[in-house]
Amino acid sequence: MKSRQYTTKVLEIEIDSKNSSDIKDFFNKNAPLFSSHLIVIKGVISDEIREFLGSKSINFIENIELKQRKESKRESLLKDNLIVKDSIIRSGQVVDINGDLLILNRVNSGALVKVSGNLIITKLVEGTIECSGKFLMLAASNKSSITFNGVKVDNSYLKDKLNKIELIDDEIIITPILKKEINWA
Amino acid sequence: MGLVIAIISGKGGVGKTTASANLALGIAQNGIKCVAVDFDIGQRNLDMILGLENRVVYDMVQVMDKEATLKQALIKSKVSDNLYFLAASQTKDKTALESSKVKELIDELKSEFEYIILDAPAGIESGYEHTIEFADSAIVVVNPEVSSIRDADRAIGILDSKSQKVKDGEEVDKYLIINRINPKMVQSGEMLNSEDILDILNIKLIGKIPEDKGVIDASNQGKPIILDKNSKAAQAYKRVASRMCGEKVDLEDIESQKDGLFSKISGIFK
Repeated sequence: MKSRQYTTKVLEIEIDSKNSSDIKDFFNKNAPLFSSHLIVIKGVISDEIREFLGSKSINFIENIELKQRKESKRESLLKDNLIVKDSIIRSGQVVDINGDLLILNRVNSGALVKVSGNLIITKLVEGTIECSGKFLMLAASNKSSITFNGVKVDNSYLKDKLNKIELIDDEIIITPILKKEINWA
Repeated sequence: MGLVIAIISGKGGVGKTTASANLALGIAQNGIKCVAVDFDIGQRNLDMILGLENRVVYDMVQVMDKEATLKQALIKSKVSDNLYFLAASQTKDKTALESSKVKELIDELKSEFEYIILDAPAGIESGYEHTIEFADSAIVVVNPEVSSIRDADRAIGILDSKSQKVKDGEEVDKYLIINRINPKMVQSGEMLNSEDILDILNIKLIGKIPEDKGVIDASNQGKPIILDKNSKAAQAYKRVASRMCGEKVDLEDIESQKDGLFSKISGIFK
């Protein structure tokens, strides 16, 4: 068996099988535009339309519903439920957020920040962090306790600089971000 | 109307009561009518540090319970006509305080005095909450050590959530005093420096007090250290009191001061 992988443009159409004139009119006008497309037709088409599309040399498949790609990575990182906190998180304070959180201040020793989504903290973390999102970005001292998706992260890797902690293929990847690259403007 | 300032710390033994006594006296010496109130019900000490323990007849709980008038309970300082003292009850506990009664007492004090200094108990229990409840501002006293900083951080968090001013949508002004600074230990890196502490607590610095052995003796004798002209701590307290009275006094960098013979000699050539 031989196989090849292509990336192609798809035109997905849904037609009313009783009224074949609509699709004929459309392709009589626009066939050149879609000569290199794959036409995906939802539902079953009549023999008449099948012959018509063949006569126009149009590539098509019928009775197929394409699976939508879930959501792009970029979209998943920028949900609209982002909460921004500008105040210092002090000892004894508990911040429990269902969603994504951006903290523009310190998380002091004795404070707890629990987030179901992604978390970015722009100043030093000395408290306890529990993050269950796809990524976590912080700089943490050795006083901190960082748990990412249920796994305790060794904070000796997180000192003095901002780090991105990601869950990729069930593995926790820590990437340090150099100070010169940070531009919070 | 008077200004209510709570002296808080979270941790015990950092010098809250000493600071209360010295700042109240320092403010009074600046010509401002001031009262120091001991809110540490059951464990009062401010009377001893001010040297007024043998003059306490009525306490603040008795005033709140209408067993005595405020005038009867207020004790005038021996060293300043502008300073008065209101003692805490030594026989009752912190449950003796009720918000409505505390408010009534504070309102009465505000009509009589320009500055009302409240010496908070250690910890973050109900006694502490009642002290900060009606305060306009707070002075946080810390020692340059991590446990003191963390407890102060917790106390500030409670202040920012439970004071009446915050509930009314305003902000309680918070100032920091770093007490018992040992310049040698700061220079050698054994003690936290002011920048680190300010970074963690994120409030305005109002003064640095150097470690001074004379403070213990002064407290034991009931003569606040601020009365000792030769004491470094006294000078530092005077500067803080002046700042509290609105004077512009530059912060002294006591952390880089050196006492040794070599530094004195080298100082001559600077």
